[in-house]
Amino acid sequence: MFRNNYDNDSVTYSPTGRLFQVEYALEAIKQGSAAVGLVSKSHVVLAALKRNAEELGSYQKKIIKIDDHMGVALAGLAPDARVLSNFLRKQAMSSKMIYNRPLSTSKAVLSIADKAQENTQSYGSRPYGVGLLIAGYDETGAHLYEFQPSGSVLEYYGAAIGARSQAGRTYLERNLDTILETDSVEELIVHGLNALRDTLSQDVELTFKNTSVSVVGKDSDFKIYDDEEVQQWLDKLDSVSNARNRAGDDDADDNNENQETTEETTTTTEAATTEEASNDDNANEATDAPAEDRMETDE
Amino acid sequence: MTSIGTGYDLSNSVFSPDGRNFQVEYAMKAVENGGTSIGIKCKDGIVLAVEKIINSKLLVPGKNKRIQTIDKHIGVVYSGLLPDGRHFVNRGRDEAQTFKSFYKTPISVPHLMDRLGIYVQNYTCYNSVRPFGVVSIVGGIDDDGPHLYMIEPSGACWGYTGAATGKGRQTAKSELEKLDYETITVKEAVKTAAKIIHQAHEDNKDKDYELEISWISLEETKGRHEFIPEDLLAEARKFAEEEDEEDEEEEEDDEEMES
Repeated sequence: MFRNNYDNDSVTYSPTGRLFQVEYALEAIKQGSAAVGLVSKSHVVLAALKRNAEELGSYQKKIIKIDDHMGVALAGLAPDARVLSNFLRKQAMSSKMIYNRPLSTSKAVLSIADKAQENTQSYGSRPYGVGLLIAGYDETGAHLYEFQPSGSVLEYYGAAIGARSQAGRTYLERNLDTILETDSVEELIVHGLNALRDTLSQDVELTFKNTSVSVVGKDSDFKIYDDEEVQQWLDKLDSVSNARNRAGDDDADDNNENQETTEETTTTTEAATTEEASNDDNANEATDAPAEDRMETDE
Repeated sequence: MTSIGTGYDLSNSVFSPDGRNFQVEYAMKAVENGGTSIGIKCKDGIVLAVEKIINSKLLVPGKNKRIQTIDKHIGVVYSGLLPDGRHFVNRGRDEAQTFKSFYKTPISVPHLMDRLGIYVQNYTCYNSVRPFGVVSIVGGIDDDGPHLYMIEPSGACWGYTGAATGKGRQTAKSELEKLDYETITVKEAVKTAAKIIHQAHEDNKDKDYELEISWISLEETKGRHEFIPEDLLAEARKFAEEEDEEDEEEEEDDEEMES
């Protein structure tokens, strides 16, 4: 049997200069349920989809508060996220203690990024298996960062991580202009939930049980809305299920439903299919590359 | 690739029978696909520039800076694995601060590069670590004037007058070879740098890029490493694009003549 020899640890480069263990860690994020984040001029919103292991089990927490001005949403290995968020909390506390000022978002993000980088350059430890969206409001305004196990951090206007997050990113890209313009926190949350809704798989809906929302911004401390509290935001959505699935409902029950909605849903369905196709491409690419290595090994 | 399947490329710090360390060579491969970085040593200072490929329109423009400062008078830009680059810069900052607290004087650029060269080299010696996946271009001004260095994953560290790394390095190098380093000033080099990055981007034209330029000069920045002012950056980029259009027109003219 052929084997990719270059993916056993994070201290071995493949002949093409890739680090497979780190790339696999990025895959772990996609196993987790989705989280989205977006910013306006004054606020940052995080929205996440919670999962429960079984019917009677509780839902895994997806948004963690770091300080009054900062919080994170996670996708991937939750225990790893707890390690990182505990570290961030320590950083935030010592910033307050030593400098008497809240920790800046960029400093916070870089501190965990450097921590994650160490795990990709030394033998014996594994890269973190979690992606984070870090939302913060500091003296330089509202910021949203995406953290990856590779140690990369980038600042975004809107980001989505986790399962089927590409659909969420597509929504954010399409509505970027209105998101950046808006002064209303409510509108920002609705956009966040719409993006999250697009990542839903069939037969799942956003409910007050599986949805988590948080807001931080000018004159408002970091606040998480869970359970009953999140219902007020769900009530503001036109629908709590994915547009792709609704297209099916329309055909079955209500053919006279106004033409526009149907058209809209079809286009989204198409977009979704192309996305899936492109995802498949990516998947192929990922498996292809090691195959190349393997083929050359044979020679 | 002859290296594959021999077993000598699976671990860092292992020599192959013909004396190569393959993991270091593979680390260079990681660099060769990164955005192009260049450095120019001028008569009166240093100019650093980098091409940042924009992978998503959701990224905040003007943030996610790639050029960093090691000490007040030393700047660095790198291509390759960006988190490794930050590790490198953090180490550089530590070295610079340690030196300053010990000797009460800012570290000289050659001495800093010596120390960083040793640090990077160390990451090729053990199988418990991997070499750095970056090539860094470091520039600075000290008592002996401007200095420009480039440091590779092997720890090799050379002085340059014009340095380029990343995907478009070949194009950039051949452009850099045309410059007159005896007379060029930082102000002129800023525009040239923008043009070179623009040309190096040709190979990767399907994606947009953002330009980042910094400089160090006694006259312009009092010997400090700073990003160039916004208006100068806009001017430089406009210049680069216009030059490009002119070239294209010329090419078109040539083609017409030929036909």
